[in-house]
Amino acid sequence: MACACPKHARSSVASSPVAVAFEEVTVVLGGVHVLDGVTASVPAGGSTAIVGPNGAGKTTLLLALLGQVRHRGHIRVSGTADGRRPRIGYVPQRLAFDRGLPMTVSEFMVMGWQRLPLWFGQRREAAVRARELLAEVQAEALCGRRLGALSGGELQRVLLALALGQTPDLLVMDEPAAGVDFHGELVFCEILERQRRQRGFTQLMVSHDLATVTHHATHVICLNRRVAAEGPPREVLTTENLTAVFGLHMGLVDRRAMPDGKTQCSSSCCTGKPDA
Amino acid sequence: MPDLTPLYSLVPKALPFECLEARFMQRALVGLLLLAPMSAAMGVQVVNFRMAFFADAISHSAFAGVALGLLLSLDPHWTMPAFALLVGLTIMAAQRRSALSSDTVIGVFFSAVVAFGIAVVSRDRNVARDMQRFLYGDILTVSDRDILCLALLFLVLMVFESWSYNRLLYIGLNPILAEAHQVRVGPYQYLYAGLLSLVVIFSVWAVGVLLVTALLILPAATARNLARSAGSMFWWALLTSVVSALCGLLLSAQDWAGTATGASIILVAFVGFALSAGVAVLRGQRAA
Repeated sequence: MACACPKHARSSVASSPVAVAFEEVTVVLGGVHVLDGVTASVPAGGSTAIVGPNGAGKTTLLLALLGQVRHRGHIRVSGTADGRRPRIGYVPQRLAFDRGLPMTVSEFMVMGWQRLPLWFGQRREAAVRARELLAEVQAEALCGRRLGALSGGELQRVLLALALGQTPDLLVMDEPAAGVDFHGELVFCEILERQRRQRGFTQLMVSHDLATVTHHATHVICLNRRVAAEGPPREVLTTENLTAVFGLHMGLVDRRAMPDGKTQCSSSCCTGKPDA
Repeated sequence: MPDLTPLYSLVPKALPFECLEARFMQRALVGLLLLAPMSAAMGVQVVNFRMAFFADAISHSAFAGVALGLLLSLDPHWTMPAFALLVGLTIMAAQRRSALSSDTVIGVFFSAVVAFGIAVVSRDRNVARDMQRFLYGDILTVSDRDILCLALLFLVLMVFESWSYNRLLYIGLNPILAEAHQVRVGPYQYLYAGLLSLVVIFSVWAVGVLLVTALLILPAATARNLARSAGSMFWWALLTSVVSALCGLLLSAQDWAGTATGASIILVAFVGFALSAGVAVLRGQRAA
């Protein structure tokens, strides 16, 4: 699988304050331990990726963080410097919604902020803010489009704009680039990286795509119902760990190719070599 | 109780039809003009939330509401909405807590309230005969007290819709996303379920148990075909609902028609839907 992201990820900062701490988090659904005593931390200001095979409990861990799944143990989300509760922005994996709903992208953006019912139209300042946020994710042209008519990549960018509209301290994403084509994923990753650097939020992302993780994550949590490994990508994404978590892994991550503090994948887009 | 005569006397002035000179027709028209916008506004969200089955369950609780009134020697006009409210809130609580699918939860309550109603009503043949008016509805027998109750509900509901329309759209789109973005999903869902239960049970008087869901769904479905935005969807639903109610009432009063008012309203609403579906197809063809 080709890598879709630029190579400018930073290494994990071990001394960073913790934005989210999972302490012995256990989720039992239908008698099955979906999560079993998960203890992990998300460094503040970093880009943390949760990786693991299907059924590892990645999405469940995010839903537990969002208060959507009952769990045992504790999930501590640190307050902000000014003592208020941190704001969360959420980008779901694939928004399950009724595509027949006649809602424009602009209305979708505005409905969370504007109290005046949309049947009286959009307030000027709300519409301007929506347009600015969409411009930040290169989706300004989608403003008047119907939400149900967007492609997968376009919808993910709009969802990112919606999450950014929360001015989040913590951006939670569940496989945000799943089902998006190569170019769409590249654009999404670039926007995300730029936004994180500009706004300084903490990013927590579930991903299947190890190439994305190696490029973007500063901290990795390898999950398979329990935490198999946690730390900077170059220390965690080892052949041993990946084999332990995924079984036979795809060999995308070449640890020897990772320079100090940087991560790099072995795909042709990064090595400059043509595909074999 | 306030005298509503001045209000009724406006009807023949605004709509100079011969059939609207009778007081019961004026009362029915005022009742429908209050009910139609409510069912349109709630119907938009019923379609968004996929709650048609929920509305069906509430409408069928009408029998049990009447039966409860008989058992407790209370006026069914009070026991029906009270019981519908109880059933609506209980279903919502069960849906939010249960691991069962939404349809299964509603189905369980649906069957329980219908069985309870039939069991009690079937003990008295006279009452069982009287139940027909709930099956088919009878807006022509609406009283001044009903009109006042509808007016009060109309006020409460429009305040709620004005305050919550955008948030309800958010929740209808994806409740997890809405909750993550600081929308208090639970209170909105309970308030909506309670008000919907009341609108449904009042609509039972107008169009009957069998057609109440259609009164909610048809204007909203028509609006979806015609609207280009979530805001305009509300106005289209409102327009469709009010026009259907007016035309249905006037048609049913014609000698050559002589049909039940509720059924006439729904048939007119269906014609509106069919036309809107045609418009949607034409638009789609143009887009292609």
